[in-house]
Amino acid sequence: MRRQLIRSAASTADLPSAARTGSAPAEVSLRSVRRTAHAAPIHELWAGLHLNGLEPAQGLEQLATLAQRFTPRVSLAPPDGLLLEVAGSLHLFGGVEGLRHELSGECLRFQLRPVLAFAPTPLAALTAARAGEALVITDHALLVGRLAPLPIGALRWPEETRARLARAGVRTIGAVLRLPRAGFARRFGVAQLAMLDALTGRSRDVRATHRAPVRFRRRHELDCEVSDHDRLLAACAPLFDALGVFLTAHQRGVVELECRLVHRNAPPTGCVLTLAAPCAGGPQLSALFGERLHVLQLPEPVRAFELRADQLMPLRSLCRGLWQPGEHGGEAGEESEGLVDRLRARLGPEAVHGLALRAEHRPEFAWAVTRPPAVAPRSAALGVHGTALDEAALPTRPLWLLPTPQPLAAQDGLPRRRGPLRLMSEPERIETGWWDGGEVARDYYTAVDRHGVRLWVFRERTAPHRWFLHGVFG
Amino acid sequence: MAGDPKITRLLEHPAIWRGRSAARRAGLSTGFAALDEHLPDKGWPRTGLIEILVSRFGSGELALLVPALAALTRAATARWCVWVAPPLVPFAPALASCGVVLDRVAVVGGARPLWAFEQTLGSGACDAVLGWVRQPKPRDIRRLQLAAERGRTLGVLFRPRRAARTASNAVLRLSVEPLATGVRLTLIKGRSAWRGALDLPWPGS
Repeated sequence: MRRQLIRSAASTADLPSAARTGSAPAEVSLRSVRRTAHAAPIHELWAGLHLNGLEPAQGLEQLATLAQRFTPRVSLAPPDGLLLEVAGSLHLFGGVEGLRHELSGECLRFQLRPVLAFAPTPLAALTAARAGEALVITDHALLVGRLAPLPIGALRWPEETRARLARAGVRTIGAVLRLPRAGFARRFGVAQLAMLDALTGRSRDVRATHRAPVRFRRRHELDCEVSDHDRLLAACAPLFDALGVFLTAHQRGVVELECRLVHRNAPPTGCVLTLAAPCAGGPQLSALFGERLHVLQLPEPVRAFELRADQLMPLRSLCRGLWQPGEHGGEAGEESEGLVDRLRARLGPEAVHGLALRAEHRPEFAWAVTRPPAVAPRSAALGVHGTALDEAALPTRPLWLLPTPQPLAAQDGLPRRRGPLRLMSEPERIETGWWDGGEVARDYYTAVDRHGVRLWVFRERTAPHRWFLHGVFG
Repeated sequence: MAGDPKITRLLEHPAIWRGRSAARRAGLSTGFAALDEHLPDKGWPRTGLIEILVSRFGSGELALLVPALAALTRAATARWCVWVAPPLVPFAPALASCGVVLDRVAVVGGARPLWAFEQTLGSGACDAVLGWVRQPKPRDIRRLQLAAERGRTLGVLFRPRRAARTASNAVLRLSVEPLATGVRLTLIKGRSAWRGALDLPWPGS
């Protein structure tokens, strides 16, 4: 009883998936679904592309990389075929027709007009495409019937095999499939029979998924030598576009991008763009490079341009808010990353930093430079006492600190700075630091100068008893 | 025009909707009640460039701003508070003890403070930007003001006192002088009825 229940649940579970992927006939009887489910337990729909006039040099791999936009399962069928398993992603592109339109659009960028066929097995899709028929077979039950009229040549069997079949009067795939299996294997070889099984889905046809290289290195030769910055930037734009396409296909982003400008005689000028967060936008990277280019000194005109991104990071998907940053409490995460990138590109990687506290009593060690803070959304406003620091517990500190204490002149044991300083407070003693060699022994005072500016000064407790200025209250 | 009683009467009609009154945003409280009373929006403007003119560095100009910075960095949707080319090191423990949340504070150094100031103001990533720019030209200040409006950011430009003689596009200009237990503020420019000086004592002194 229980087994029956499970089986009926499994067969009805198949039903919507069969109906969803088929933009064609919806009259799928329960029985046929059950039978196809037994014949091909995994429901697949393959798109086969036959690319006429493809240049052999890496054109297919580039196209496969582009096609990974549509599905992660892209297989190469050299020399001129490409296979995409699209059952899962078909509905995202508006069904078969929508996907056909978009795929053709991608191929047009390579000046190619592909033949595109859809079938439940990869070999069937490829064979139909190679036969020049833009078939759409979504139902496994109809596969053999639709393939039958196609010529044998589309299977790309050896010339000798084809000739022998032709002599026997076998010219279509349907005729081949009608031949007795045992005799066919004996006469034409087991490999050919296995191919027929793969064609009809009798045996499973496992295709190696195309894995695009996970680093980007490309060189762009400029048409002429360029020394003007704006023209150079325009000439490099296609390479940045290519990088953007590459990154989108891999769902990766760059955090470090090496750009090399190649000259005729001088060694190449290199610059490394470092980003605050993984970035996949070609125009954005191009703009950053433009900022960087403005501060680069070029020894000679540029002949070629190279981009290298070896370290690719997984791209974080972004949720965009309804409000602009600053409006009704809109977030500014993306803007701040862009700002950090722009500032770093122009001013250098050290130009932007954050501030942090350190548990340390010596003022010069009580703070630290950190990476620029990431603007993470907060669930609510912080209370007045939200931080761990209790405000009352801290002694008074100036808002400004001198990077290193500045020696002050002294008269009668009292400090001077453009006139005598008045000491306003009791001394605060800050001592020791023997563990890292930075030992101090100081008495800190708040002082006011002639103009009323409040300063933070200290007097050394050791021999010369010099006075130093260490902070300004601001 | 506003003085004409007929027009004033007409404008009181409920069918006439005046954008200015609706679009006016509450200012950002300075943290000093006496100063809030005197400022045009009852506080610092949330958008636009203001100038603070000091006779000497360290006259109390930063202490005047820190309560507002603390409030900004503590908000639920706080953006950054950026310091562009500060002349000394902003001392993190002092900022933290004044209530500023340090993970919203960034410091920008480098050779081009004016460029960095404009970029930061216009980016939309910041609630407030404090900038120390050496001798900006009136044209530069106009650019900064436009950038602050674009980024919906409060920009604070610190300048020496003698700059009060030159014209500026900033929405608010204040002069700050140190007193024994506080500061003396003078409004140089601003849409406010306040004239003369305001003596502001530091809290607790």
